[in-house]
Amino acid sequence: MKARLGAALRTQNTSLAAVIIVGTIVLAIQSQGGFLAPISIRTFFEFLAIPIIIGLAQMATLAVGQMNLAVGAIGGFASCAAAILVADAGLPGWLGGILAILIGLAAGLVNGLLVVLTQINGFVVTLATMTILAGAQYAMVGTRTIQASAWPELQAIGTAYPLGVPLIFWLALIIAIALAFAYRHTLVARQMLASGGNPLAARLSGISNNRSLVAAHGLSGLLCGVAAFIVLCSLPGSNKSIGGDWLLSSFAAPIIGGVSLVGGTVAVLGTVLAAMVVRLVDSARAAFQLDPSWVNLVIGAVVLGTVALDRVRTRRPSATRGRRRPPADAPPTAALRTVERGAGA
Amino acid sequence: MSEVYALEVRKVTKTFPGVRALDEVNLRLKPGEVHALLGENGAGKSTLIKIITGIQPPDSGELLIGGEPRSLSSAHEATKAGIGVVHQERNVIADFTVAENITLGNTPTKAGRVDWKEMRAGAQRVLDLLDFPIDPDTPTSLLSPAQTQLVEIARGLYADSAVLLLDEPTASISENESDLLFTVVHKLAAQGKAILFVSHKLEEVFAHCDTVTVFRDGKVVAESAPLADYTRDSIVDLLVGRTLAKLDVPERNPSREGAPALELRSVSSSAGHRDVSFRVHPGEILGLYGLVGAGRSELAEALLGLTRITSGEVLVNGAPVTIRSVGDALRTHGIGYVTEDRKAAGLFLDQTVEKNLTVTVLKRLSNALGVVRARSSRETADEYISSLDIKVSGRDQLVGLLSGGNQQKVSLGKWLAADTGILIIDEPTVGIDVRTKGAFYQLIWALAEAGKAVMVISSDLAETVTLVDRIAVMQDFAITGIVDNTHDYESMSKSVIRLIHDEPISSVEVQR
Amino acid sequence: MKRSTTIGGVVSDNRFGLVVLIAVIVIAIGAIKPMFYSPQFVVGPMLTSIAIFTVVGLAQMVVLSVGQMNLAVGGMAAVGAMVAGIVFQAFDAPLIVGLVVGLAAGGLIGALCGVIIAYGGVNSFVVTLAMSFALLGLVPTVYGWVSVGSAITVQTPGLSDLGRSQLSDVCFGDTCGPDGIPVLLFVTLIAMLVIWFLFSKLRVGREILLTGSNDKAALLSAIPVPRRILTVHTLSGALAALAGFMLGASTGSFTPAIGQEFMLQSFLGPILGGTLLAGGFVSIVGTFLGIALTVVIRQGLLLFGVGLEGLNILLGLILLIALSADRIRHVVGQRARLQATRRSDTMIAEEVTA
Repeated sequence: MKARLGAALRTQNTSLAAVIIVGTIVLAIQSQGGFLAPISIRTFFEFLAIPIIIGLAQMATLAVGQMNLAVGAIGGFASCAAAILVADAGLPGWLGGILAILIGLAAGLVNGLLVVLTQINGFVVTLATMTILAGAQYAMVGTRTIQASAWPELQAIGTAYPLGVPLIFWLALIIAIALAFAYRHTLVARQMLASGGNPLAARLSGISNNRSLVAAHGLSGLLCGVAAFIVLCSLPGSNKSIGGDWLLSSFAAPIIGGVSLVGGTVAVLGTVLAAMVVRLVDSARAAFQLDPSWVNLVIGAVVLGTVALDRVRTRRPSATRGRRRPPADAPPTAALRTVERGAGA
Repeated sequence: MSEVYALEVRKVTKTFPGVRALDEVNLRLKPGEVHALLGENGAGKSTLIKIITGIQPPDSGELLIGGEPRSLSSAHEATKAGIGVVHQERNVIADFTVAENITLGNTPTKAGRVDWKEMRAGAQRVLDLLDFPIDPDTPTSLLSPAQTQLVEIARGLYADSAVLLLDEPTASISENESDLLFTVVHKLAAQGKAILFVSHKLEEVFAHCDTVTVFRDGKVVAESAPLADYTRDSIVDLLVGRTLAKLDVPERNPSREGAPALELRSVSSSAGHRDVSFRVHPGEILGLYGLVGAGRSELAEALLGLTRITSGEVLVNGAPVTIRSVGDALRTHGIGYVTEDRKAAGLFLDQTVEKNLTVTVLKRLSNALGVVRARSSRETADEYISSLDIKVSGRDQLVGLLSGGNQQKVSLGKWLAADTGILIIDEPTVGIDVRTKGAFYQLIWALAEAGKAVMVISSDLAETVTLVDRIAVMQDFAITGIVDNTHDYESMSKSVIRLIHDEPISSVEVQR
Repeated sequence: MKRSTTIGGVVSDNRFGLVVLIAVIVIAIGAIKPMFYSPQFVVGPMLTSIAIFTVVGLAQMVVLSVGQMNLAVGGMAAVGAMVAGIVFQAFDAPLIVGLVVGLAAGGLIGALCGVIIAYGGVNSFVVTLAMSFALLGLVPTVYGWVSVGSAITVQTPGLSDLGRSQLSDVCFGDTCGPDGIPVLLFVTLIAMLVIWFLFSKLRVGREILLTGSNDKAALLSAIPVPRRILTVHTLSGALAALAGFMLGASTGSFTPAIGQEFMLQSFLGPILGGTLLAGGFVSIVGTFLGIALTVVIRQGLLLFGVGLEGLNILLGLILLIALSADRIRHVVGQRARLQATRRSDTMIAEEVTA
């Protein structure tokens, strides 16, 4: 028996995959095959790594019914902090890379703890930390761009192309697979989904919603740190603008990918596919020489369309409010053994 | 010889600011027993349930589980101590499978990963114990409320609960499903589980329970007594106390001549109503009685234009009408609706009494420019505060801070201010103390005397029999019959129950 | 807007705290750097910023009143300014015409969001998020079509008077107004007055607040909820457009960058001022004071040579501290407790803490 929600996600993934295939064909034709040339493929996937990771970072908080407005700020702050530590304080590049990830994790945990301890709305908390971190990022680097030549070992990762596809993309893919596995098989992640799906039911079963919230925000921050790591690997330097345009894209991928805004679901494949679609739109813009602003316009329209369609198609049945009549595809009550009047138990 | 009770409550007291919710209550629950917990809303039942399930601690007294005194500091502690709860509202994770919901909080793991195989096997074991033939891998979102409820019972079993507390389990499920539920309940009792059964449906209680404890005004008026010692009437007496019995039903002679204020002819709706017909005349009180889930509130919502009427006619004062919105219902046709759940849908808890009382008449209180005349607004509020005897420090008090009875008065007051010819009141006295109940009944009689057509929706049979002129019985989104009210509980309840079950009452057998 | 009527009530009122805080900071900064009191170099620009950002705060506040949010305030401000600029440039229109058309443009975009939210049942966060995306793309594109160098600079009579002159330039005969008070502030005061009138006197305003308090009860009390939500978003768009117009007038040119800084301030002002995220209660004066606080701090930091980044850090901290203090002090008190179990679009899931 297919889950109604599972089926919905599957059709969404199929639609996204279809869009990707069609888009690729269109671009290939338009460029007379140039789009499929090795260098073009490399570039395509190179700029896909970060969107996938930050989309997953947002998905991590959406899964518990929260949002992380600080995605760009955490990533930017972590990359600049690591950059300074390596370039100015002389830390080895590889350590800088690890620190970027850990700083992201720390920032995420702080968000989670603030949400839980102060009981302030997650929106406001991450709005505040976003402002603080963005300010701190600027305070650290000012108008400098710290050159990536300071961490050659990380740059080496960024310039590796196993099988013609950037290593950083493989990294992003591996992380996506690991996340999908975690959300399916680890207890902590299942509890996060429970907390997001029905906080009351979760609490009554002894699951700590607080822990789920902190873990989700921590995971989100960790992924932002990974994005910062990828920045260090693949971009020519780190400066105050890193992360500045991440926020909106971090929402677009999960939303288009089918992640519910009310919490309780994740859609790793959908998020990855959606990030690909966005990347394709960007490629199309370049290919057809349209103004860069068109990308944003299209993405905005698609996000809106996705959510509107979602509301029309799947009114998610809430198992917390008793429905008056059983849904059409419930196992028929008659199939369950009914009591015949007068028969013994 | 002292028995070890599965659950024992000893002299538990709980006081909230201004009210003693529980006054040295006792209760004893034996393994294998099906024990009914009865009491009006506000009588202390819910407070005791919160204490037993660990959500609140008692101020004094003891709680013993399996003979051991326990102090429960959270719902989870209660679960670990062996108390399984199935709440009134469904509490499952919609996107999880049945197995995962059954094992929620006790998820089996192997090497740090979720052990799906063991989860499925464990869930299946419990489902077998219940004779509930559902595939553990079924997504819970596909289940009906009744099936979901069984999943919650299974969850309690999986957690090895010795005590199972069922809170109004048949509130939102159909009759067939109730039968299945009770079979499960008796099976569990036979296996030695102790069942605490909270309900206000006396028919069910008498059919399926062994013992009863009755609450009234924070005290226990019958404690862990064999149900065989009581009749329906004696239980009702205990539940409501003499105060209500002393209430004199006034001489009422509503005239049924002339055009009815509200008439439905074979109305069907998109919510599922089929062929609903009835009439309410000015000055008359029609009771719409049914069990929760029968479709009564939904009918009111259809009359307000919130759900579509798919066939049939609605007539107001003899003329057929189409009602498109609540505003339409109110202003064009004079239909008012006092909602069932005042906190969620009737009141603006963080706003003042004045704002709440004037909300339906803002247009009338405003001038041509759309400015609300402040003085008129204040005067309107004051008028109803005094006429309804709402106990407030002033019209600027926030409604959320009022007592249940006063809140209900505000909820009613805002519709009195609208002065509609037709007034539908949904569960007028839910969660109100007994004294205020009487005041409400007087009020409703007065409204009818003043010429309004009143329809009272209630699932409290004793209340319906006291209050209304005629009783329309609704079951499963259809009207099964309309009878004149003789105000005699014994005979009226027989007629009503017959109409609900659609069969002579004598053949209802006790399912054991 | 309710005024507390007891001493205790006044002292614990959010707004009183803000006034005290602002006064303390102003005095402290002024004591160290007397230049802080310079009408021309400090007070004037500061009040101009307060004027503009207060309108931005009001644009968000009106949406917060129903427990929703408008993430596209920046985009709507940009559209309003852009349309006004185009009208000035293309039709040589008088000041008032450009202003009105600009407001209408912003209002239209807001209405579009409002329709999708109220009648489509879609979450306001997503709709306005998507709209902000779309506008982010649309605005620079249109600027590219209609102007050289992506900026519209016009000499419409009255525009620079409105945007850059101060009361000292307004003279009746020999008496002129004081220095340092920008004329733009009066636009803000008018906007504040209009919004105050809406919420405290008009029936529509009361119904809006009741919708924010409990939308289900509002619907069942015969309040036309979808219409009110549409109104609120339209108004938000118009106010955002006004803020954009004011910014353009104050700098002398309309550019796509207008509105980029608006989103954070649009929340900070109302939140610091006591407007509740869950809806049902707004404070116009509070929004003004909240913005005033942030602008005063920014100005002070600038004088001390601290850059924009320091401001942002401080603002974020202030937001966290102010809200935590609120929680502890129960300043918003009874209202917050009564609203604690309600959702708004900013709280996507119930925050149930074990």
